[in-house]
This record gives sequence, structure tokens and C-alpha cells, in this order.
Amino acid sequence: MTLPHTKRFRPRITVFHCLNASAEPALESSADYEVKAVNMPCSSIIREVFLLRAFEAGADAVALLVCPEGQCHNVNGNIRAARRVARMKRMIDEIGLDGRRLNIYNIPPGNKLAIQHAIRQTVHDATALGPNPAA
Amino acid sequence: MIVAEQKPLAEIKGIVAPYQRLLVLGCGTCTKTCFAGGEDEVATLASALRLAFKKDGKTIKVQELTVERQCEDEFIKQAAPLVGGIDAVLSLACGAGVQMVASRFRKIPVLPGLNTTFIGVLEKQGLFIEKCLGCGNCVLDDFAGVCPTTRCSKKLFNGPCGGSKNGKCEVNPETECAWQLIIDRAKEFGQLDKLKAYSPPRDWRTSHAGGPRKLVREDHIV
Repeated sequence: MTLPHTKRFRPRITVFHCLNASAEPALESSADYEVKAVNMPCSSIIREVFLLRAFEAGADAVALLVCPEGQCHNVNGNIRAARRVARMKRMIDEIGLDGRRLNIYNIPPGNKLAIQHAIRQTVHDATALGPNPAA
Repeated sequence: MIVAEQKPLAEIKGIVAPYQRLLVLGCGTCTKTCFAGGEDEVATLASALRLAFKKDGKTIKVQELTVERQCEDEFIKQAAPLVGGIDAVLSLACGAGVQMVASRFRKIPVLPGLNTTFIGVLEKQGLFIEKCLGCGNCVLDDFAGVCPTTRCSKKLFNGPCGGSKNGKCEVNPETECAWQLIIDRAKEFGQLDKLKAYSPPRDWRTSHAGGPRKLVREDHIV
């Protein structure tokens, strides 16, 4: 008997990315994951609904890349973003999707290694949690 | 402003569960200002509900609209074109707005998405505090602009209870002693003597008793 082919889970991640943290993100899909990048002039532009809509659009995990604390070009933008992410993590937990699917990373400007680490961690989290049950 | 808080998502989910087509109706005045029911909150809640139901394998169609305020028919009627195609309205207005919408759209259920709490102010960023009970008989002129009805835990009208410590209330140490505030302010104006005047027992008939209160302005009726 031939077993049906098991499709390997290829996580879809959405990355909201502050352009001040890095102007040239190395965000490309690979064989292991699909990435959608949304550029922001500042992380303060993030709205809670954007994060939820990313999951509605099928994301298995969402990451925000923001400037380190104290280095936001607009003073407190990254702190506001962090507050919104924290609130939405709780909301996503209440929805039943697991708040670990959403994370925020502070990226020193121009640090491509930090970006790569954030992406790798997001893919790892998505893989561990499995496909978005509401996708 | 009227301050309200959004109900927990689980409670809202339970309330809307019987309906397949929902309109989340926001209010652009008080509940927007306290981050409970404005456009952003409508969008976020609508998205959360779609995700929550989809996760359970159910589909719910959620439309979104925010009007200037839900306590006036002039604005509520903007929702009329949408009402024909829905099973229920989830209102993110205060209790007055929910009931106004329910009066307007009599044939469909209108559900509350918020818990209306108090008349208050934005004291500082992120902090809303109750200032007025709507007692119907304002005597702020007698108390240096600090309301003993609302802000004194014991509603005392003839001086402090004596239990405060470092200006904080003995009932709730997180609350400022209203009488400390009254005395401090009266002293600034040189009106401490005014506090010696006896305030008789309050007539509460102007307050929350005997059913809903009414204000008629015949000069505005044409």
C-alpha cells in the first residue's frame, strides 16, 4: 500500500519591519519558510489590528523588528509598539492561537545578523507551534 | 466623558455565538477616547472574533462601522444600510448608546460589547478616574471644586472622617482623601471658613432613584 504523501509544513511568517532598524532587510523566502515583509517608517505605526490581520491572512507567526530601546528616531515608537505587541499576545492567547506566534525583536541598526536570528527564531517558533489553526 | 471597558473576548464570543452575521458598531466619542470602542477597537475586535470562530471551525461574517456617537439618532441611522444584512449588532458604545441603537433597529438584537463604568476624566496618560456620579445636585462650589459625593469613599459632606493617612483614604489607600483635597484647595482660595457651613442630609431624589431621569428643554422643541 502506498502511503499518501505527507506535505511538509512550510511556515508562513509576516515580518513588520521598521526601516530605521535596517534599510535593507535580508528577508527572502526559502524552501523552508515563506516570508512576507511589511516595511514601516517607524514601529510606532503598527496598529493592533495589523497584527491580527496578518494571522487572518494566513500567517503562522508574526514578528516585529524594531529599534533598540532608547534609539527610536521618534523617541518612544518602539516602546509603543512593544506595548501593543504585549497586548496582542494576550489577545491571541485568548483567541486560542497561542501568543508565542507573535514576537518583537530589537535590532541594532544595520545588524544583519540580528535580523537573521530574529527570522530563524520566528520560523522555529512557527514550526514548533504548527500551522495557524485559524488560517 | 463616559468611561467604559471592553468585555473579555471570551464573554463577547459567548454573547455573539448564536449569530452568523454581525455588525460591530463603534462610537467615535466617549468610548473612542477611553480606547474601548472607537475605530481601532472595532477593527481589532472584529478581527479577533473572526479568528476565534475560524479556529473553532465556524464562520462568522463581521462588518465594521463607527459612527460619531451612538447616543443620537442622527448618527445611528448611518448604520441603517447595513442592518438589513445582519443578524445582530455588537455595540461598542456606553449603555445609553446600546439602548439607543436597540430603539432604532427594533427588529434585530443589539448586544453590549462594553461594560460602562463611570463619568470621568483622563487624569494622565493611560489613567481614567471617576469624577462625577451624576447626582443631579452639583455643589462643587461649596467644596472648592472637589466632589465629596464621588471622591469621598464615605460620601461625607461635613468634614473628613479623620482616618486618612498622608493624604490617602483609609478605605482605599490608593485613593486620595477627598477632604484633604477640599481643604487644601479651599485654603488656596482663602475659603476655609466656607467649610464650616453645615451641609444638611442630602436629598437623593435628584440622583439614581425612581427610574430613569429626564431633562426636557422646551426651548429646543419646535
